[in-house]
Amino acid sequence: MARVRITRNPLMAAAVVLTVVAAGAAAWGGVSRYEAAHDESAAYAQARDDALAAGEQAVQNMNTLDHRKLAKGLDSWEDSTTGDLHQQLVDGRDAFVKQIQEAKTVSTARILSGAVTELDDRAGKAGVMVALRVTVTAPKGKPAVKESRMLGRLSRTSEGWKLSALGQAPVGNTAG
Amino acid sequence: MSTTRHLVNRQRRLATVAAERAAAPARGTAAPDTALDAPAPDPSAKDTGTDDEAAQDEAGDDAGPAAAPEKNEPKGERPSRLRVRLPAVLCALTVLLGAFAAWAFASAGSLRDEPSRQNTALTDIGRTSEVKGQIADAVGAVFSYDYASPEKSEQAAGTHLVGKAVQQHKDMLAQVRAQGQKQKLVLTTTVTDSGVELLDGDRARLLIFADQSNTRTGKSDETTYAAAMFAVDAVRRGDTWRISAIDTFTR
Repeated sequence: MARVRITRNPLMAAAVVLTVVAAGAAAWGGVSRYEAAHDESAAYAQARDDALAAGEQAVQNMNTLDHRKLAKGLDSWEDSTTGDLHQQLVDGRDAFVKQIQEAKTVSTARILSGAVTELDDRAGKAGVMVALRVTVTAPKGKPAVKESRMLGRLSRTSEGWKLSALGQAPVGNTAG
Repeated sequence: MSTTRHLVNRQRRLATVAAERAAAPARGTAAPDTALDAPAPDPSAKDTGTDDEAAQDEAGDDAGPAAAPEKNEPKGERPSRLRVRLPAVLCALTVLLGAFAAWAFASAGSLRDEPSRQNTALTDIGRTSEVKGQIADAVGAVFSYDYASPEKSEQAAGTHLVGKAVQQHKDMLAQVRAQGQKQKLVLTTTVTDSGVELLDGDRARLLIFADQSNTRTGKSDETTYAAAMFAVDAVRRGDTWRISAIDTFTR
């Protein structure tokens, strides 16, 4: 009896229709939102951007060193790296400290541009190329400004992407 | 109160049964039906009732109307309560579902518009390698010069450059072109590394590391190598990517 009355009431019928439409929209929106949040290429894009940001920061750290704050600078080098590169830095730290303390240099670096060249999201490996400008200030003479082309390999660790290898892009072995 | 009423009803029932038994032989088979249908008002029951019972009966009847609404309320009000509640529930549901839908769509939209998703460098493998390959070839072509065929580099510039890059390239190669014939210059540029920083539809930005060898063929051949790094903006026209701007990171 009650049901018959409800459907006969046009307002009630409209309310039911509205609710059904809202339910449909909510379901559609939910699916759309779920797909957007679980988009695989989006996750890959995020990994790419994370790797680039970490790579640029790490390359900048590795080109920044102030002889007055050596411990802090070298700690940041070690924090930016993993694997063999990290081990090399740890092993060579004492000798390097001596070298920089004698040279009394201050190096600062500015990232000009950077790009991810390859990314294996599953394996947690990435390659980055970074263009940077390094300014080295010695106690005597003018600051030396040089542009640097760095190629780095990144590995994903529990603390994020870290450099596992870093070097200058080689010159003169392909052209001519 | 219910106890008294119960008691009264029980007394009435008992009275009816007693009256029935008394009346049964006379009335026949029709009697039980009427007696069961209306036990209380049965006139035959009143005969057996005492004065006390009549008083109680009256008290019971008085209590009756007061108690009746309680008993009858659910039956009478269920539809009307539904009539009030259902629209309210529907409205609330509509608002909740609508709000969720609005949030979900807005959230999905903003997720899709995230800059990291707009940039399809590496996520779009085909386009990424396409732009890398074409721009590497373009860079090699436009930044190479051979005194023996200087028109080649101009042709390359015409095919691979658009917009701002045309003038930038002209300025960069001005010196080479001016002295090329005299010094018999051969400039060769080879892209050694390139990475796509940004890829968004028909626009891209790439970071390029290149080797440049500069050979002066004169009395004695002399080749110098230089390392170059720059970024280029690229646009896709038809099926080909062209360089639209060159950024040499000058201060």
